[in-house]
Amino acid sequence: MRKVLIVGAGQAGLQLALGLVGHDYDVTVMSARTPEEIRGGRVMSTQCMFGPALQHERDLGLNLWEAQAPRVEGIGLSVAAPDGGRALDWLGRLDAYAQSVDQRVKMAGWLELLEDRGAKVVYHGVTTSDLDPLTGLYDLVVIAAGKGELVQLFDRDPGRSPYRTPQRVLSVVYVHGMEPRPEHPDLRAVRFNAVPGVGELFVIPAHTLSGDCDILFFEGLPGGPLDCWDDRPDPAEHLDRTLSLMRRYVPWEHDRCRAVELTDDRATLVGSYAPVVRRPVGVLPAGGRVLGMADVVVANDPLTGQGSNNAAKCAASYLDSVLARGDEPFDEEWMHGAFEAYWEYARHVTFWTNAMLQPPPEHVMRIFGTAARVPAVADRFANAFGDPTDLEKWFFDPALTDRYLASVTPA
Amino acid sequence: MRSTRVRPYAITRGRTRPRHLLLVETLVSVPNYDPQASAQLMPEAQALYERARQRTSVAELSAALDIPLGVIRVLLSDLASQDMVYIHPTGHEYQYDLQLLERILDGLKGV
Ligand SMILES: Cc1cc2nc3c(=O)[nH]c(=O)nc-3n(C[C@H](O)[C@H](O)[C@H](O)COP(=O)(O)OP(=O)(O)OC[C@H]3O[C@@H](n4cnc5c(N)ncnc54)[C@H](O)[C@@H]3O)c2cc1C
Repeated sequence: MRKVLIVGAGQAGLQLALGLVGHDYDVTVMSARTPEEIRGGRVMSTQCMFGPALQHERDLGLNLWEAQAPRVEGIGLSVAAPDGGRALDWLGRLDAYAQSVDQRVKMAGWLELLEDRGAKVVYHGVTTSDLDPLTGLYDLVVIAAGKGELVQLFDRDPGRSPYRTPQRVLSVVYVHGMEPRPEHPDLRAVRFNAVPGVGELFVIPAHTLSGDCDILFFEGLPGGPLDCWDDRPDPAEHLDRTLSLMRRYVPWEHDRCRAVELTDDRATLVGSYAPVVRRPVGVLPAGGRVLGMADVVVANDPLTGQGSNNAAKCAASYLDSVLARGDEPFDEEWMHGAFEAYWEYARHVTFWTNAMLQPPPEHVMRIFGTAARVPAVADRFANAFGDPTDLEKWFFDPALTDRYLASVTPA
Repeated sequence: MRSTRVRPYAITRGRTRPRHLLLVETLVSVPNYDPQASAQLMPEAQALYERARQRTSVAELSAALDIPLGVIRVLLSDLASQDMVYIHPTGHEYQYDLQLLERILDGLKGV
């Protein structure tokens, strides 16, 4: 039995581990936290996942919360006008529903499932001094530790990383009691509210420890009015401040918040990080090689809500690469190949996300404007969240955009 | 809106086997020493197996064998899954590690 060590118990590491256990690999996962500590900890993400990524989970029997989690059936775009109204306001429908299951619920549950399915789970915050001897004991060591310190093993790839500094300041709060959007009372959707020059507010329906909730997620331009979390407010103050910012910048979302309350006392998060792509192979002081995975190697801004989706797709891609390797060694060349196979997908997401961090160019404004009148355009944009590889066919290049818009709008 | 509050714990039907929570102070020992099994082990695991014939703690093993804590935990978990070592219950397996919580809170600056 080939022995695989996976460091990090998030979307990527656990999904890969559960996939490998299903194919009779001898799997050990090292997790910095126990399931109890994860459930009792802070929220970590907004983790909205779209149809293709959810399908990877179903394929492995990991969709334990599919029945409880609200079905997200659309992506709404609203753009604030200077007068407090909306310059744009439309909804695209998803072909397959999306879902967001609080990672505290999901990762704790998956860790227990992994132990039940026969993997070894070791609770330990791994350091590089641990890794050196460990690489000698395993056929393959995968680092799936997210944006933690172990990323230092992997060099930044400057050719694939246009940014050096954070492009947004992030603030998250989970609430119960948010009312539906009056225009679609029976349809749950991710609401993408853009405030030009200020930032974005996402509203994401989700399933948390205490059931159904909505997540209020601000992405603020650094130095702007949404960059206001340095004092690390306590959760109650965090919610109050979020609501007053909503009243000011996205009043139509604030109108839904008359009865909101925090889901729990660990339901808030603030932070920021620079988007980065890293080289996939880490070299340890004694010469051991480790393969980086998901956020360790491709960490985009959460603006397009793709990180967990990427993690699921990276896990599926690495699983295929491991299985295809058979009994051959997991050497450095194989590691590069495994990453490039994943990057062939992830490059689309990275390009799109990095582009969306900039003010939209004229042809993109034309897409968003047309989507208000032509539902097919809104739907195509919404479905790109599930499959971003579609975007290069129409979204980035003004000539391709013109051709597409001409094909869907009567002359 | 809030009708679907459920306890997430129900989902995985409760634990089917005890978790090996190897705190630094956790005690381990070899229940039935088997020299033949010992001879089959990799050098680090063998050193650990021999040492644990006398009941000892995770921290002591790491210090005495000069093996990093993470490696000790992995090796012990391997041996425990084959019933070659016994992990003594610590009594506070399900409590928060406060230091860890603090580290996580500090880490939030970099999300
Ligand atoms: C505010 C915010 C909102 C987001 N919203 C979305 C969204 O809507 N949709 C979406 O798809 N993505 C979203 N993302 C991104 C998504 O959360 C991440 O991309 C995804 O969780 C990455 O998965 P991962 O498995 O690579 O890493 P992680 O989820 O970070 O998991 C890594 C795990 O490794 C553990 N670990 C770290 N260091 C060590 C160590 N030394 N030893 C042992 N264990 C260690 C950590 O504790 C953690 O459990 C969002 C992110 C943020 C910050």
